[in-house]
Amino acid sequence: MKRVMTYVVSVVILLLAWEIASVVVNAINQASLLPGPFDALSQVVKNAAELQRHFFASAWRLILAMLIALATAVPIGLLIGREQILDRLISPMIYITYPIPQVALILFFFIVFGTGSATKVAMVALALFFQILVSARGAAKNLDEEYLTSVLSAGASHAQVYWHVILPATLPEVLTSVRVSIGLGVAFLYIAETHAALGTGLGAFIKKYMLFRRDRAFAGIVAMAILGLVLYVVLDLLEHLLCRWKYVKRNSLKMSQRKGKEHEAS
Amino acid sequence: MIEVRSLTIDYGHGDRSVRAVEEIDFHLKPGRSLAFIGPSGCGKTTILFALAGLLPPSDGLIKIGENPVTGPRREVALILQNAGLLPWKTVWKNANLSLLLAGEYPEQNAGEILDNLGLSTVKARFPAELSEGMKRRVGIARALSTSPSVLLMDEPLASLDTLTRERIQDLFLTLWQEHRFSMVLVTHDIEEAAFLGQEIIVLTERPATIKQVVENSEVGSLDYRDAGAFQRTVHSLREALER
Repeated sequence: MKRVMTYVVSVVILLLAWEIASVVVNAINQASLLPGPFDALSQVVKNAAELQRHFFASAWRLILAMLIALATAVPIGLLIGREQILDRLISPMIYITYPIPQVALILFFFIVFGTGSATKVAMVALALFFQILVSARGAAKNLDEEYLTSVLSAGASHAQVYWHVILPATLPEVLTSVRVSIGLGVAFLYIAETHAALGTGLGAFIKKYMLFRRDRAFAGIVAMAILGLVLYVVLDLLEHLLCRWKYVKRNSLKMSQRKGKEHEAS
Repeated sequence: MIEVRSLTIDYGHGDRSVRAVEEIDFHLKPGRSLAFIGPSGCGKTTILFALAGLLPPSDGLIKIGENPVTGPRREVALILQNAGLLPWKTVWKNANLSLLLAGEYPEQNAGEILDNLGLSTVKARFPAELSEGMKRRVGIARALSTSPSVLLMDEPLASLDTLTRERIQDLFLTLWQEHRFSMVLVTHDIEEAAFLGQEIIVLTERPATIKQVVENSEVGSLDYRDAGAFQRTVHSLREALER
């Protein structure tokens, strides 16, 4: 309950700050440049049907891109994190390509692959790929060696070491990296969607209205923020579900200590 | 029967290689116990890992039973310093890890062991929810799940409080007498070595070589800590280490 209250207070403060900013900006420019939160939110309601269509177009692109990035970056990251030969071979390529601003390739991608959804998904996936790859590699490299000794002495095969140790041990860090990359993913999606001449997605919606109906464009921005927030929360829940072992400690330490004492006494 | 001849282990290659263990010889008859004691970082654990088949010897021979050791094997169990539990697996899965990895779905064996070790109520818990003493007992349950003929222990009771440590030492002694496995213990705790090792090998600084062998044949009763023989062993171990 307390947590919900703090969120409500944060949202109210944010809306208030937005309203003040809008009043100030419009007064200075003596024109209605920045719509206030109430104008934008009422546009969300009025354009619900159109916004919904664009929202889901953006949402599935982002989710698909995330899944593609996970499916490719996690295995490669873990392998180069653990296998020295692969690390020596592949890591230099990553360090050379990682700093290339992928945004700069957007036009090129559109020219070569067309302006359809596939290209937009590919752009976002590419951006997320590097974030996840680098964190999966780092997590695999910094693994506690005792876990490996433990399963190897229990007779684990190479594949079993990956399945029983490396993957579960690195999962929390990988999921965190996906969560913090959502902002980047949304930004890339926006750029990809606004670059296409016409099309669906919140980026296209925002671009369409930015010049002449700014209140509607800001309704689109609000929708995009909600998209990011929803995915963030879903990933947070997923991490708590899949990595339950990381969170049990806080809740039950006291109880288990009491039980432990009872056991040791008996 | 464990037989080790001229065991030498180097880490690294070429100019950068470091010798960890040099020319170690010993043998251990089935059902007997042996402890290694030596200064921190001298190479004790290296010897144990070589016995477990996790490290190939650079030179020399290790035989357990009839065959030379070439890798981990089922009849040799290893207990690690921090129990070696995987935090993402429940107590039950940790205790049965060796069996699960071999594709067996255990029903009784480790269940029984968990019950005997007083862990039956925490089977579904994660290691983070357990006290240190309980974690060690899960590690013991795991080691015993395959009914090993050799039990290797790498400082199994480090960082425990004295009372818990003595209780688990008692548990080791009872289990050893009950299951009749051979036991090889690596420790830097003099009293632990004297309480559990029928023979104690004192090692030198790195590279580890044998400094002295101390016989301690009266090991085997829970009140051995009060015996004169125990005190004499502790005394000679202390002297050997300080020398």
